Amino acid sequence: MRRPQKSCPFCESRVRFIDYKDDRTIGRFLTDTGKILPSRLSGVCARHQRQLSTAVKRARFLALLPYIRGHQA
Amino acid sequence: MPRKYEAVYIFDSTLEDTAIQEKLTRFHELLSLSPETTTVDNWGRRQLAYPIGSRENGYYTVARFEAEPAALPEYERALKLDDGVMRYLITLHEHEVGAPPSAEGDGDEERPRASDDDDDDED
Repeated sequence: MRRPQKSCPFCESRVRFIDYKDDRTIGRFLTDTGKILPSRLSGVCARHQRQLSTAVKRARFLALLPYIRGHQA
Repeated sequence: MPRKYEAVYIFDSTLEDTAIQEKLTRFHELLSLSPETTTVDNWGRRQLAYPIGSRENGYYTVARFEAEPAALPEYERALKLDDGVMRYLITLHEHEVGAPPSAEGDGDEERPRASDDDDDDED
């Protein structure tokens, strides 16, 4: 039995380009430890997933998102 | 030919606001920017997601501008040498990020194509 395809949240809200400065939005596509959520779980389409991954990496560099979440040095 | 760029700077948050603005104008002078094509957005002080060195906070500024690519190396050098700049990121801003202010009119490829290349249609 094939599960029904999840629809891409970015396509649904008609986002054309994902903004790396919008940490509130892209922060939702991270796991509890701060990894990028696989599209198989989030339902993000391939095109937006590619954009998302660069956006997350840029946001991490700019300290808008953590590289690792919940880590005490 | 000038290209569109977007630069995000993280300044040391202990600097005075006037000092930050002063630095900013100094950097932008190196690019000889025209005021019509330049927008500067000061986010202000904000907590960093992780400490950079001993710093927990930074002063964020986002600038969009059109500049000659040949002018960039000198400008980047100035950014690197400046101790007040903790980090910076320069990205091309040509149909890349669709941040609200630059809702570019070149809507050449609309949704229809997106549906056939990525995932299968919803069934």
